[in-house]
Amino acid sequence: MTTATEFAPAPRRSGIKEWIFTTDHKRIGILYLVGAMAAFVVAGIMGLGIRIEQMSPGESGLINYFVGDFAQTMTTGAAYNAALYFHGAAMILAFLIPALTGFAANYLVPLMIGAPDVAFPRINALSLWLFYAAILVALLTFVIPDKPDIMWTGYPPYSITTSANTAFYVFTVHLIGFASILGAVNFLITIIYMRAPGMGWNKMNMFVWTTFGAFVIQIVFVPVLAAAVTLLLLDKYVGTGFFDPTRGGDVLLYQNLFWFYSHPAVYVIFLPAIGLLFDIIATQAKNYIFNYKAAVYGGILGIVVITGEVWVHHLYIAGMPNWISIGMMVTTLLISVPVGLILISLWGTLYKGAITYNVSMWYAVVCLFLILAGGLTGIPLAITSLTVHLSETSFVHAHFHFIMGLMATFAVFAAVYHWFPKMTGRSADIPIAKIAFWFTVIGSQVTFLPLFLIGIKGMPRRYWDYAMFPEFEPYHLIATFGSALVAVGVTLMIVGWIYAAFRGPKVSTNPWNSKSLEWTHTESPPGPGNFQRPVRVDESWTPYNYN
Amino acid sequence: MQQVVQGEARATHEHHWEVSWAPMAVAFGVMFLIPLAFSAYFVYQRPLLAIICAGIGTPLVLAGVAKWIHEGATQHSAISNVSPVGIGVFIIGEILIFLGLFASYWTMRISSGAAGELWPPAGTPHINLVLPLFMTGLLVASSFTYHYGEHKLNDGRKGWFLVWLLVSIILGAGFLACTAYEYVHLFAEGFVPGTNQYSAAFYSLTGFHGAHVLVGLLAFAAILFGMIVGNVNKMFVKVAGIYWHFVDVIWLFVASQVYYW
Repeated sequence: MTTATEFAPAPRRSGIKEWIFTTDHKRIGILYLVGAMAAFVVAGIMGLGIRIEQMSPGESGLINYFVGDFAQTMTTGAAYNAALYFHGAAMILAFLIPALTGFAANYLVPLMIGAPDVAFPRINALSLWLFYAAILVALLTFVIPDKPDIMWTGYPPYSITTSANTAFYVFTVHLIGFASILGAVNFLITIIYMRAPGMGWNKMNMFVWTTFGAFVIQIVFVPVLAAAVTLLLLDKYVGTGFFDPTRGGDVLLYQNLFWFYSHPAVYVIFLPAIGLLFDIIATQAKNYIFNYKAAVYGGILGIVVITGEVWVHHLYIAGMPNWISIGMMVTTLLISVPVGLILISLWGTLYKGAITYNVSMWYAVVCLFLILAGGLTGIPLAITSLTVHLSETSFVHAHFHFIMGLMATFAVFAAVYHWFPKMTGRSADIPIAKIAFWFTVIGSQVTFLPLFLIGIKGMPRRYWDYAMFPEFEPYHLIATFGSALVAVGVTLMIVGWIYAAFRGPKVSTNPWNSKSLEWTHTESPPGPGNFQRPVRVDESWTPYNYN
Repeated sequence: MQQVVQGEARATHEHHWEVSWAPMAVAFGVMFLIPLAFSAYFVYQRPLLAIICAGIGTPLVLAGVAKWIHEGATQHSAISNVSPVGIGVFIIGEILIFLGLFASYWTMRISSGAAGELWPPAGTPHINLVLPLFMTGLLVASSFTYHYGEHKLNDGRKGWFLVWLLVSIILGAGFLACTAYEYVHLFAEGFVPGTNQYSAAFYSLTGFHGAHVLVGLLAFAAILFGMIVGNVNKMFVKVAGIYWHFVDVIWLFVASQVYYW
């Protein structure tokens, strides 16, 4: 608390300046959400374009319009690759990671631990605007003639030999990566040093724990990705040969460095998503966290420890000695143990709970099933023998979309509905939200279940033309229909959010009767400094003290 | 049980919304200065556009940083005493970047033929091995002088701190001057980043380290500027010192790997 006086408070003016130049964690969080949802919409439109192009084998030419090539100067393949690049890079780097470790962490962590703000508010604002700068660089894809066409992975040698602009990919990663590193510094320090007096490590909200885990992963692994893409930049534009085999470089070196970050990145997304689900489920089921310590020390910290030893399963078919692939198969399968502990806790929290169902809880319950489906389909991919058949098919694509595209995304949606009354003082749980929910959930299953089936039968991923597999056309047609349902659902949902933010029904400060600090100790929305007086919690307090 | 404080008057509560335009200026300045200027020059070969981008970016970054330093010197934060831990966490990230670069270098070395027979690869001129020793001396000495200066500052002797700060800046600048001298000579001999694998590793590692020295020197310049204006932020002095020691230590790894292996 910086300048508290007993005199009359300064009037709480709040114009546009107090928003765009803000260093307040709540407003930074909301600005993160706005930017992340903008990226989600654009990247989602790219995804829709991909599905429309795949509706029939052969060329439709429609994908060119999606990437801004209205004059049809690009080939279908080039346009498709550009759409694929933007969809992947923006969904992961500009939507999921900023929505979970930007929006949710910013808005919730200081409130949940009873702190007035994060440790370094201006560095926090720097992270936010670096993220927006990255989005701007990514959006330039649509205006430059040489659109990046290297997926979100940027594998050499193609990314070095292509005539497309690899630099914008690299700089998008740099800007987001730097924002993540600064975010990690901020949140690790905040969680370690700024918890309210009396709040021990075993009394933190699950979301605070998962954010802690996610940022430990970020600080260790993001820098390696930054190094890898920097070398890619040097290779392409300065003439070095790190990844160029003709000059003594090693293509697999890039893949190793890339996945050394990018598999842990899955857990950077997975952990906070799980944390949000824990807090939503515990609140709506009015129950304590089942096996809290096992979920925290075995589950979350277990993932943090094992996450750095599994990346090679992305390279199985690249060729490697058996002792490496089998060793990495074991570690990859081993990570199901902490994930299993977390899942047991999640389901156990529902057990004997007094469950209230609302839109956020619906999404949360759907997520429980999505984790199961997405996790179990990962096991064949981890096994070195089965993966030979499944690798590079749409089975892989459907598998990770279940975890990242559906589970983590729905966790973000659930969080927005759950904390909407906190952010705005109004409820977003209005009829349009329920309609949107059914469109989104049913549509997403219709989209991805056929892709599992044709993936097993051999449909390659990343192909825009599948004329050699005409028998898959009906499945693609169904999947495209599903993606249209998702598009309707997401549109309704966002319309609902905007409407509810200004016109939604007003609700009380603690509409869910939660025991967590952000609901019990401050008003909605909280003012500057969050709490009217420094928060202190006593012996018997826990955020899940419902019994 | 919880002390429910809802509905109480806000009278005892502070405050206004904190604002600062500095972070936004720095972020967008960086965007113009690095991604856009680099792309204009290297990707699209438009030097004029590159200069314009850099011309927009540089003042934005400088103004943002100046504003930031000014705010840091005048505003107090209840929790700023954790800054040394914050820079520690940041340094973990930095170490991992260097590890990524080292891993690339090691991979090249190991795959370059049995027992490094083919190392250094063809096209490598004679590399002066005395100069890096001298550079190491400069950097290590600057770490000690800065540390000594910090002691003086904590004893309240600002004049001596200023002297030792200046000595550290001169030593650090001398290090960069040696790097520049070395680069100019190697370039003249045709040893550029694209020459061979060794040049790639050499320039990426020493260049990335040199950039860190530059950042450290800029932090020192900021402290110097603050002293002239009459503001010394001891916390910033300490943080800059921790960073400088890190830059110093990592140089020992860079030098031993690049020059003497």
